[in-house]
Amino acid sequence: MMGNLIQLLAGGLSLGAAYALVALGFVVIYRASTVLNFAHMPLLTTGAFLMVGLCKMGVPWGLSAIGAMVLTGALAAAVERGVMRPMIGKDIVVTSILTIFVAFFLEAMVIILGGVEQRGMPTPWDTMRTVPILGAKVLVNSLVSLAAGLVALGGFFALINYTKLGVAMRAAASDQEASLAHGIPVGKILSATWFFSGVLAGLGGIMLGMFPNQVDPLLGTIALRAFPAIILGGLESPLGAVLAGFIMGILEVLAQAYLNPALGAFGQNFHGVFPYLFMILVLIVRPHGLFGVQEVKRA
Amino acid sequence: MPTKPLQTRYEDDQKLFPDMWHKVGLAIAIPLALAYPFLVNSQWLTVGNQAWVYIVGAIGMMILTGFCGQFSVGHAAFIYLGGYTTAILGEQLGMPFWMAIPFGGLVAAAVGLSVGPFALRLEGYYLAIVTLGLLFLVNHTLMSAEPLTHGAMGIAVPMHTWFPDEPGGLGNFSETLNLGPIELTVERKLYFFFLLIALVSAYGAKNLMRTNTGRAMMAVRDHDIAAEVMGINPARAKITSFGLSSFVAGIAGGMYACQQQYLTIDQGMSFMMSIQYIAIIVLGGIGTVFGAVWGAIVYVVLNPLAEELFEVAKPLLPMLSGLSSHQQATLLFSVVVVVLLIFEPLGLLGFWLRTKRYFMAWPFKY
Repeated sequence: MMGNLIQLLAGGLSLGAAYALVALGFVVIYRASTVLNFAHMPLLTTGAFLMVGLCKMGVPWGLSAIGAMVLTGALAAAVERGVMRPMIGKDIVVTSILTIFVAFFLEAMVIILGGVEQRGMPTPWDTMRTVPILGAKVLVNSLVSLAAGLVALGGFFALINYTKLGVAMRAAASDQEASLAHGIPVGKILSATWFFSGVLAGLGGIMLGMFPNQVDPLLGTIALRAFPAIILGGLESPLGAVLAGFIMGILEVLAQAYLNPALGAFGQNFHGVFPYLFMILVLIVRPHGLFGVQEVKRA
Repeated sequence: MPTKPLQTRYEDDQKLFPDMWHKVGLAIAIPLALAYPFLVNSQWLTVGNQAWVYIVGAIGMMILTGFCGQFSVGHAAFIYLGGYTTAILGEQLGMPFWMAIPFGGLVAAAVGLSVGPFALRLEGYYLAIVTLGLLFLVNHTLMSAEPLTHGAMGIAVPMHTWFPDEPGGLGNFSETLNLGPIELTVERKLYFFFLLIALVSAYGAKNLMRTNTGRAMMAVRDHDIAAEVMGINPARAKITSFGLSSFVAGIAGGMYACQQQYLTIDQGMSFMMSIQYIAIIVLGGIGTVFGAVWGAIVYVVLNPLAEELFEVAKPLLPMLSGLSSHQQATLLFSVVVVVLLIFEPLGLLGFWLRTKRYFMAWPFKY
């Protein structure tokens, strides 16, 4: 029983790490431009496909992981430069909706260039290898994605809080006009923001590919399940996104194990909607999520 | 910079068709719409039927997002609720489809009103994601209520013209009806039925913009606190717009069911449908009935066009054949929307206003 629970928790944590990375990618761009970037979904897929492609070309595993992340980041920066930059100063809702179509476009490109068939994510160890922890068998894949997720999250926080670029990013996020007045090149900073968000997407894609161990063009739609985490954490808060990502990952796995069977016919696949239900319940109490900023409104 | 001509009398401000453009447009559009089913082949007739369905759905979305400024990703939930209600009433009670469609609207409106209270506390993306949650919940419920909806199998939509176990009736709907020289096939009958609904909803939405209720919605959209200071009740405006919008969406769902003849639902499909409607109103121009109508028409027409275009492009670009026809249409549509929105965030409406201004000011620049 106890082993079962630990196994579930480990699964939930690694799912949560993936959600957290996905959510962080959304929040980073939201803070910089108040745009909810739906193009993040196909960027995840792109990351996973690039990783598979690079490995197939014979590039060592670690190197292709880094390569996939950087390339995805570059793609994100290119999207920013080509599509988002002309939209600066225009209606933010229209801009967000625009990203949906950028997403469709990228998704079609992935299908055209990568094909639709499923493939496994290559790993240097046996994909099904497990290690015993406290009496539970835990997939090595899960542990690696957990660790990689934590390292990336830590690195990102260091970047945001302790580097000059990070300070500039935070400045551009809080007030574009004031940042320009202080000589911060907001356009370039936005590009950098999108680049880092793309890197996170690349990593997220690799991890999502590793955990259920399949890569197909629909991989990015997992982001639909990460939305509750973003909202639960509060759109403005990277820390909230990460915490909520882990919470949602664990909740989803636990709901699948304990709630689905309890609900009978209605419970089939119920874990897919449970995070949304949980999010709605939390929002009733806290309309801006757990860590979101409640804006003071004046007429 | 779309501007209205200066109005000096209240009557001008309240006119339903304020200038010559509207009247000329209607005088051309209505005969064209009536003649359309007799001028085209069956493929384009289907496109015509779809256009009416999407116009009604887009008007529903426009009431919520365009008039009241509430951004919703849950529109497909109401569409499917309306569609499934129509199908289930037809199957279980043998209710005629034209009688079941309004019930579909009512069921959708009931669920829509239940989201209203959330709209009072949440705004912007928070509300959008809550409506996305609603969509998935509705989707899940429809999937698991198997005795009624047949789950993943899908449900056929019966087209009774009258209750089957009662005498009287209006003939068999699937039979061709001959009115003198005019031959009314099923598709053409549906076309005129849909045309009627679409005209009523477009007229209703246009009128709504002139009523107290509609103007309150627009005031809440433009500045909710200022609206409240002016004595408008934002809560009421928001809940009304949710109710009206989901009612119209439910009607559109019923029409969709009749047009498709078979309903299935899955998470990805329903999400895509919500996105389609958002795309339609943004493409058309947010906040106007014009935008809903033209956005829907362009969206529907782009689908067969995409098919033909890719048919031509395939020999030149063999890698395109990896896409399904639906994906091809989506690809073309997204390129069109991205390019259009970058140059004209007001969508087709913006282009129309620009063209109109050019000709009105000619030979001057402005």
